[in-house]
Amino acid sequence: MNQKELKELIDFLVEKDISEFELQRGDEKVKIKRGAVVHAAPHIAASFPAPEMSSAAHLGSTVSVPPAHTTAPLATQEDLHIVKSPIVGTFYEAPAPGAPPFVKIGDVVEAGQVLCIIEAMKLMNEIESDVAGEIVRRLVTNSQAVEYGQPLFAIRARK
Amino acid sequence: MFNKILIANRGEIALRVICACKELGIKTVAIYSEADRNALHVRFADEAICVGPPRSADSYLNIPAVISAAEITNVDAIHPGYGLLSENANFADVCETCHIKFIGPPGDVIRLMGEKEKARQAMKKANVPILPGSDGVIPNAEEAREWAKQIGYPVIVKASAGGGGRGMRVIRAEGELEQLFNSAQAEAAAAFGNGNLYMEKFIERPRHIEFQVLGDSNNVISLGERECSIQRRHQKLLEESPSPRVTEEMRSRIGEKLENCLSAIGYVNAGTVEFLMDEDGSLHFIEMNTRIQVEHPVTEMVTGIDLVKAQILLADGANVKEIIPNVERRGHSIECRINAEHPEKFTPSAGKIKVFHTPGSVGVRLDTAAYAEGVIPPYYDSLIAKLITHGKDRDEAIMRMQRALEMFIVEGVYTTIPLHRRILADEEFRAGNTDTKYLERLFAKLQEQRAKEAVAQS
Repeated sequence: MNQKELKELIDFLVEKDISEFELQRGDEKVKIKRGAVVHAAPHIAASFPAPEMSSAAHLGSTVSVPPAHTTAPLATQEDLHIVKSPIVGTFYEAPAPGAPPFVKIGDVVEAGQVLCIIEAMKLMNEIESDVAGEIVRRLVTNSQAVEYGQPLFAIRARK
Repeated sequence: MFNKILIANRGEIALRVICACKELGIKTVAIYSEADRNALHVRFADEAICVGPPRSADSYLNIPAVISAAEITNVDAIHPGYGLLSENANFADVCETCHIKFIGPPGDVIRLMGEKEKARQAMKKANVPILPGSDGVIPNAEEAREWAKQIGYPVIVKASAGGGGRGMRVIRAEGELEQLFNSAQAEAAAAFGNGNLYMEKFIERPRHIEFQVLGDSNNVISLGERECSIQRRHQKLLEESPSPRVTEEMRSRIGEKLENCLSAIGYVNAGTVEFLMDEDGSLHFIEMNTRIQVEHPVTEMVTGIDLVKAQILLADGANVKEIIPNVERRGHSIECRINAEHPEKFTPSAGKIKVFHTPGSVGVRLDTAAYAEGVIPPYYDSLIAKLITHGKDRDEAIMRMQRALEMFIVEGVYTTIPLHRRILADEEFRAGNTDTKYLERLFAKLQEQRAKEAVAQS
């Protein structure tokens, strides 16, 4: 999707007052949430934060959102704890292909419980929850590439 | 040709590599720490991966994170820039093991040149002049005394395993030798885990001359020299090419020796061979840097060769004599390193840049990753821009630099621009009378001037 197409798309959404929109074309994915940020990602989490983001989409240079922006609305809405990736690598939801996932939405986990694996340099790293609570959201997809600080799970922490 | 390259660096050099990649049609991946989220290299790369928190050790120097980023983005090669991991032989080896091309020489060559004493011996064997010095490591003060007698005072003892001034002592007379030798050894052991010392003749007022080389697996060519005598605490501040004191005869003689020696070693990619020139004009090898250097632009301006592009092409297997059929030199070039530091106290000045008006026009080049409203983080070195000029001769290069410095406005952080203006106006500099003690003399001069003014006003 080039900038012109993107601009037309956004103008259309604004005109029709559509607040959320998602489109996948091959390995190009566009997700737009109005009032927050524009996020266009190939299958890798690419991050080009623009210093000033106004509420209409900012088309200046490139597009994306630093992890903080996507987590802020989530977290403030419900006071959720976000588990972030401590390393760069590939996210896997289960210990092996075909095996059941470590956790699913609704599970209650303890601090230190393994939530997922992130593979880095052929090593499988088990990622543990830093809090106890209920898994509310999973924020990445299986075999997605993740960067340092990437939000993985939203947990409603037990008080 | 490579499809995609990851740049394992930040700041202006990361942007520099992105420029070369854009021209070659190669996609780029930037890595960044959380402190560099809004950095220009992140914005201009095709993809960007956050690799860690602000501290370099946890991000830019974090080899697993860097390699992991390279793997998930499927790059063909990594350009390490300068500093950071660029001379980390282990990192070069890891890249190779992971089938990612490291844009630089192989780990073993990096290792060889990293052991200063071994590098000296390799050069000596090839008839490249080295400073009169010890044959290898000196085990104790007794032997040190014998060597010093042979070499002649003043001498300097240096740590074989490291640099930056640590494990180094200047010894001017036999009486002080034992104590200084022992303290240097202890310092070296503490700093580098290795107390090995070697000894060299000490030159009181040397000029720092370095030669740029480029090699493929068969040939190495010399691109001439740069002079980097203007330094503060071993950090270069201003560099130029050619050196006002290097003759055409010296240039070709040393160039040829280096070409032969480095081809024999199998040197590949870019490198810089550093020399000290003593008071009577002879050059002595001190060490080799196996990477692209900060001051590479002055060589680019004088030769017209894009050194970073050359690095990428050489890593891709190109023939150095095809990329550069002959080396021509035109005119004179000067570079001023603009640091975010107080121009007199040299305290680092991190913070938000409020105004950034950059100079341009004829013969002026600016390599920078700074921008108005951008923030200079406190975690990394203070270099914010390199201002480079080129002229048909040294006078024109100086004049253009003065004009450019005058029109370079930075507000919000302190910079060394005022200091550079003083240097460019100084008659000793203009006469080409520079050596590594130059800045000390300039500061002393400025202090005197100030004292006189204070008296005059009271």
